[in-house]
Amino acid sequence: MSETREITLTVNGTDHTIDVEPRKLLVHAIREDLDMTGTHIGCDTGNCGACTVLVDGEPLKSCLMFTAQADGSEVMTVEGMEDLPESDGDLHPLQEGFHEEHGLQCGYCTPGMIMSGKALLDENPDPSEEEIREAISGNLCRCTGYQNIVKSIEYAAEKLAAQPAADGGRIIAEELADAQTDGGADAGGGGEFTGYDIDDGEFTCGAENCCGGPTTDADHTGGGDT
Amino acid sequence: MKAAPFEHHEPTSVDEAVSLLESLDGPTVLSGGQSLVPMLRFRLANPDVVVDINGIEELGYLREEDGFLKLGALARHADVEGSELIAEKYGSFADAAPLVADPQIRNRGTVVGSVAQADPKGDWGSLLIAHDGEVVARGPDGERVIPADEFFLLPYDTALDEDELITEVRVPTPSDREGSAYHKLKRKTGDYAMAGVGVRLRFDDDGVIEAAGIGMTAVDITNARASDAEDHLEGERPTPDLFEAAGESAAEESHPESDEHGDAAYKERMVKVLTQRALGDAAERAGVVKQRRVSR
Repeated sequence: MSETREITLTVNGTDHTIDVEPRKLLVHAIREDLDMTGTHIGCDTGNCGACTVLVDGEPLKSCLMFTAQADGSEVMTVEGMEDLPESDGDLHPLQEGFHEEHGLQCGYCTPGMIMSGKALLDENPDPSEEEIREAISGNLCRCTGYQNIVKSIEYAAEKLAAQPAADGGRIIAEELADAQTDGGADAGGGGEFTGYDIDDGEFTCGAENCCGGPTTDADHTGGGDT
Repeated sequence: MKAAPFEHHEPTSVDEAVSLLESLDGPTVLSGGQSLVPMLRFRLANPDVVVDINGIEELGYLREEDGFLKLGALARHADVEGSELIAEKYGSFADAAPLVADPQIRNRGTVVGSVAQADPKGDWGSLLIAHDGEVVARGPDGERVIPADEFFLLPYDTALDEDELITEVRVPTPSDREGSAYHKLKRKTGDYAMAGVGVRLRFDDDGVIEAAGIGMTAVDITNARASDAEDHLEGERPTPDLFEAAGESAAEESHPESDEHGDAAYKERMVKVLTQRALGDAAERAGVVKQRRVSR
């Protein structure tokens, strides 16, 4: 047997020190050693992109590199999306987009699609349809026909563009505070926004798994053409 | 665990890598790994020792120097795709880079690794041939420069010795009156080529073709030169008829195999078409021909 080696991966901002054999693929370390099963294994051949993660900001197929090769790297998986500032403690606009635009059916390819979408929007916040299709050309989906995946990423681009700065979205925060004030709820002490602190029921659309709702007056239920 | 166990070495300099290759028994070099890692995991390759060169920072270059465009062994496909120098002066490289596999693979895979893999369906070998390029290898006895024409021997087999490391591939910098292009036919986005043709045309001051290079992908047992077609072009003025004749000649020189994507006769016709189109682009990029090709 080959020997194991101690390596450190920073995954979604958290350092993990693990012992791995050189032959262990990165996707297996993420799923089996770190128990983060959001990253999927689809084809086992490097074709499907379900295992796409960001390594030092670049989208890579984690089934096509060994864990030891990522020693010292920053890895981002789908589990990290909700922790990004633009997510404001809830679903990331990309995740929300897939929900709103019906960008998934079985959902198997979705984590990879979201990571490829994230890499695209980091580089190009206002992509054309063609650019979106190129960015996800390494990700296969057998359900949707891709149309709604493209729409999902467009949704996220629009939503992110509406957030004025990369500081966590002041405008949304202000809108929330206003909405809460308008609704008669306590806007919280001092007006300092500290995350989603909405009274139960304030933004529930009625669905059992409500995503948290829109932050504006936009129609939440019928937005197929928006 | 999918791959068989292996010893993993991570040199940080070319010297260290070369001495490892010399001292170790049956080493395999791992660069981008986008072909090698699947081969390891399916145990199509079972090396005892892997020398991973990704930590050799000195090999990550893409630059013009001493009359060559030089790509270090760790220049990724995406580096070529995103390079302004390539976009300005190396039309064929700019054409080919975004046609290699998909974005994730282009971020990791390397041009040199693809050349070393010597898959007859690989794109870069055809461009090395079209541009009269060279492969630079370092071994125990120092540096060796291998012309592209002598490098590809058989599918997945090259003139490289086991204890040699490719440090660089390079092509001569173009003259002012030179243009190049790459056209590739594939079944869907991200696929290997069913057929591909890379061309380079250099013109003299009177607009006569001074030198022509044509390399073909996926239509022979290796990336292959279409030398009869090149002879057809040299000394002539660019015309649609000339390019058609050169395309026919390239098709005759190609030896595609029938497979599920198309029969050999179809692929030969595609070689002709791709050659014509690439020649049209190359002539236009050289600034010699203004008119676009009419059919697509």
